[in-house]
Amino acid sequence: MLTLYHWEPNANSGKPMLALAEKGVEYQSHYLDLLNFDQHKPEYLRINPDGTIPAMVHEGKVLTESTPMMEYVDETFDGPPLRPTDPKERWRMRWWMRFFDAYFAPSLSMIGWSIFVGPAVRSRDRAELEAAIERIPLEARRVAWRKAMFNQFSDSELAESRRRVAFATVALEQHLTTYPWVAGSSFSLADINGFNLGYALPLSQPERCNDEKTPHIMEWLRKIYERPATQATWKKGRTAMAQRVTVLQRKPQEPT
Amino acid sequence: MIELYHSEPNIYYLKPLIALKEVRAPFTSRYFDPTSFEQYSPSFPQSAESTLNLEREGPLLVDGVTVLSSSFFILEYIAEAFPAASLYPADPYERYRTRAWGQFIALQLAPAVCALGCARYLAPALKSRDAQQLKARLERIEPQERRSAWMAVIDGTYDDGVLAAVRERLQMPVKRIEDALGNSSWLAGGQYSVADIDAFAMLAPLPDLAPQVVSAAATPRIMQFLSRMRERPAVQQALGLARTAHPQEAFVPGAEPSRWG
Repeated sequence: MLTLYHWEPNANSGKPMLALAEKGVEYQSHYLDLLNFDQHKPEYLRINPDGTIPAMVHEGKVLTESTPMMEYVDETFDGPPLRPTDPKERWRMRWWMRFFDAYFAPSLSMIGWSIFVGPAVRSRDRAELEAAIERIPLEARRVAWRKAMFNQFSDSELAESRRRVAFATVALEQHLTTYPWVAGSSFSLADINGFNLGYALPLSQPERCNDEKTPHIMEWLRKIYERPATQATWKKGRTAMAQRVTVLQRKPQEPT
Repeated sequence: MIELYHSEPNIYYLKPLIALKEVRAPFTSRYFDPTSFEQYSPSFPQSAESTLNLEREGPLLVDGVTVLSSSFFILEYIAEAFPAASLYPADPYERYRTRAWGQFIALQLAPAVCALGCARYLAPALKSRDAQQLKARLERIEPQERRSAWMAVIDGTYDDGVLAAVRERLQMPVKRIEDALGNSSWLAGGQYSVADIDAFAMLAPLPDLAPQVVSAAATPRIMQFLSRMRERPAVQQALGLARTAHPQEAFVPGAEPSRWG
């Protein structure tokens, strides 16, 4: 019995969704609406007391960290391998997933939270929002939600996030000029991780991520977009957020 | 032949030394002094990853032409390259826990440990140097995150208020480790793993740096865990590679804490 608690196919929720789809593993899906604070409700806190998403329950065992969760999926279930067998490529897969998780994603998500998540909930009753913050178990997440809800990101921290996104985008483009896939020669969990982070970059950062400046990132994203597992996973999205992935649809060749 | 670029057997540098001793792999020790900034010199081994690395001060493991960085992933590499030593648990869920601990320790525990160690030991050591020369050297450090991390050691960032906040930040990760050790002798479960090596390297300095957070009274299981680790021959051999009288005082700025607060 396998159950996945998740939001949209995006960021951390999308990582196990896409990994399971690539493996061809069926699971019971529990959709949690992040913007309705479903992840902080008592019934979910009984599964994951930290109130973070996603969470996976397999044969009674609970997994709550999305990147290690993907490695568990790969080693536990049948299906095509999603990790290289060479230890050096495995190291490269893990190194880049950490760079995505700890450097690139927090800066990109700070921008996303300031322009999307915050405004999406800000019009609600102030007391209701304060009560919602009180129910968040982790101090770091309370800080993040407070900043998003009440528009408290400082100009300097947003500027630093934009600088880091620009820096990391260039680093990834350079990396993909050397290797076809993030870990090296084969598609792996690092590509699944990176796609969940970056599929909307051509929309959210059009001046930094485009066919002229980052042709290798664009081709890499399109190749992942075209995989059947990606198509099936992004169809599970319930909001306009998931629709953004269609920016990766190749244009029909124009006659020359 | 594996080459390991490392400094004193403490914090990040201690981890691969223990693991290589556990698997009994022959390696060439390339000892360097991170406070002389050799790791930023063009003659130091480099790769795209090592220069972008969040643990920019090392260690580095060089195997053939590949330069591996990031201490927990070096541990996983050693565990996978030398499977006979079983540094990964046999059970997949325990392997998940091993990796989740590696991530948790790197992001939640290590930055606080290094901040306390740098304030206590590295700051006075750097202050005894020529201030202008030091500042000129630090200003050349790239990327700028690392320049800021080094500058913070000498520019008064670590005042009493900041250090009190850092000690407060230790409470949550330390409590989680203490609780986990109530369920089993080793962090990932019943079997010793790279998670224990990783945790030991970052917990060992805390009875000295933050006795109000880690002590026999506050965290008896962590103290017993540290003793259990020190009984292992591989740990003793790794600690025996020290070249200074006080390796437990050798610190470098760690990976930065989360920017989300």
